[in-house]
Amino acid sequence: MLIAVLAYPILASIVLAFTEVSPSPGGFDLAWVGLDNYARMPSDPAFAIAFRNSIYFTLVEVVAVVGLSLVVALMLNHPAGRNAAFRVILLVPWALAPVANAVLWKWIYNANYGILNAILLQLGLIDEKVVWLGDPFLALNMILVADIWKAIPFIALLLLAGLQNIPSYLYRAARLDGAGAWQRFRFVTLPGLRTPILISIVLQSIWALKVFDLIFVLTKGGPSDGTVLLNFLAWRVTFNFLNFGYGAAIANVLFVFMFLLAIAYVRTLDPNRGRRAPVTA
Amino acid sequence: MSARARRRLSTWGVRVGLAAFVVLALGPIVWGVVTSLYPTSALTNVPPDLDPSQLTLDNYADVLASDRSLTRGLVNSAIVATLTAFVSLSLGSAAAYALARLRVPGGNRILLGVLATQMFPGIVIAIPLFLVFSQLGWVDTYPALVLTYLSFTLPIVIWILKGFFEAIPPQLERAAAVDGASTIQIFRLVILPISLPPLFATGVFAFIEAWNEFFFANILTRINIKTAPLAIAEFAGQYQTLYGQMLAAAVLASIPVVVLAVVFRRFILQGFVEGAVKG
Repeated sequence: MLIAVLAYPILASIVLAFTEVSPSPGGFDLAWVGLDNYARMPSDPAFAIAFRNSIYFTLVEVVAVVGLSLVVALMLNHPAGRNAAFRVILLVPWALAPVANAVLWKWIYNANYGILNAILLQLGLIDEKVVWLGDPFLALNMILVADIWKAIPFIALLLLAGLQNIPSYLYRAARLDGAGAWQRFRFVTLPGLRTPILISIVLQSIWALKVFDLIFVLTKGGPSDGTVLLNFLAWRVTFNFLNFGYGAAIANVLFVFMFLLAIAYVRTLDPNRGRRAPVTA
Repeated sequence: MSARARRRLSTWGVRVGLAAFVVLALGPIVWGVVTSLYPTSALTNVPPDLDPSQLTLDNYADVLASDRSLTRGLVNSAIVATLTAFVSLSLGSAAAYALARLRVPGGNRILLGVLATQMFPGIVIAIPLFLVFSQLGWVDTYPALVLTYLSFTLPIVIWILKGFFEAIPPQLERAAAVDGASTIQIFRLVILPISLPPLFATGVFAFIEAWNEFFFANILTRINIKTAPLAIAEFAGQYQTLYGQMLAAAVLASIPVVVLAVVFRRFILQGFVEGAVKG
């Protein structure tokens, strides 16, 4: 039954994408339009921008989050960072509502009174105030920064859990064999973290493709669609322009990407697979 | 360089890194809280006038008193989140126990499949859901929001609780069965009492998810059941943003979930973070 509840919207979305929906008294009328909604995409400049932005956003987010989280996890696993207080600190940004996070960064990025400009001016890194959300590409990167900040805690905790699962005798053995710090990291830590890192990459890609609140609060997709991602575009087409069919078609394109990622996650997790045949990288 | 000197150097490197990490992790939050305690006039001075004599709770009084629906939002969020947590737990614990103990054919596969659906973009689900709920006249009602949230909290609650139930030694249940208890009695009288901490904490997780959710709330509510995140976004969307009030609203809405996360940190670290890796 649970599967039916979850499957219905997905099937409905596939069907909707072939239709044009118009409101009618007491409901909605569906008119079959075949592949028109998909045929529109290549010639829709907003779709092209959103597609490009989504790829850029996801790639940068995954690399930055997984990389920085690994650094944080390694520090918290070091004897100097074992204090539980550090883990509590990580939980605070994690639990924060995404909308609260968004308004926080809106204030930090504020061109006139924001603390980011104040600090950078003070340090002499910039000569005049920067309108952080005023330029399309700069705004996209600033949204990335805010999202990366929010995403690091969970991934860092996940990698930390992975680090703690690596048996310490492996390190001792490596040391006996004369391995230096870098070699221990390269040949013990990284292979031990293989699964957690793969999972982080998949989960973070999925979450990056779902980002909505930050864009809604910070830029509403502007300036000149510079911060429109596929998810946001599908929402805007559907609920602002009330074009349900085309919105569903865009959502389905996104769905294909995320479905592939979901399969990757399940395959990484499935214990039977690994036992039957060791996965070759 | 001797090994000891090198180790001391690396310890100092880590300490500097940790200090940077603490500043970067907490700095924005501290700044947000500080901002919420000053009048907008002090904040829009250049440089901001952070004289402690200016400290005030006016922003909090304003956001709670104003007609800008924050109080209403907090109440709505509390109702929706509590309902979501309660139903997730009631249904989720039974389903998790069944999957953990009664050999359901292909149970693990079913669950992985259900988990995978959590990764679908919200928008795919939102469009048909919105059309169905509008036809039912459910838009802007609690059931619409709670049902939607259940669809993504339930699978995770089941997944996590199943792990806990599997860790309970089956001898306990066999002993109860020998004493003549039925499966349902065993579940109620033996399993539930010893699983209270994970149950409570999974409920907290469902609560946090529902409390923080924005995307579906934005689509499925109009006026009556606007939740706290929507109220915060409204503060940010005004033509002339009152930053102090906007942040006061964000702080108020964040306190419950941050407190819950910190109080239940041990469970969150074990259950969710490690659960995501173990599978």
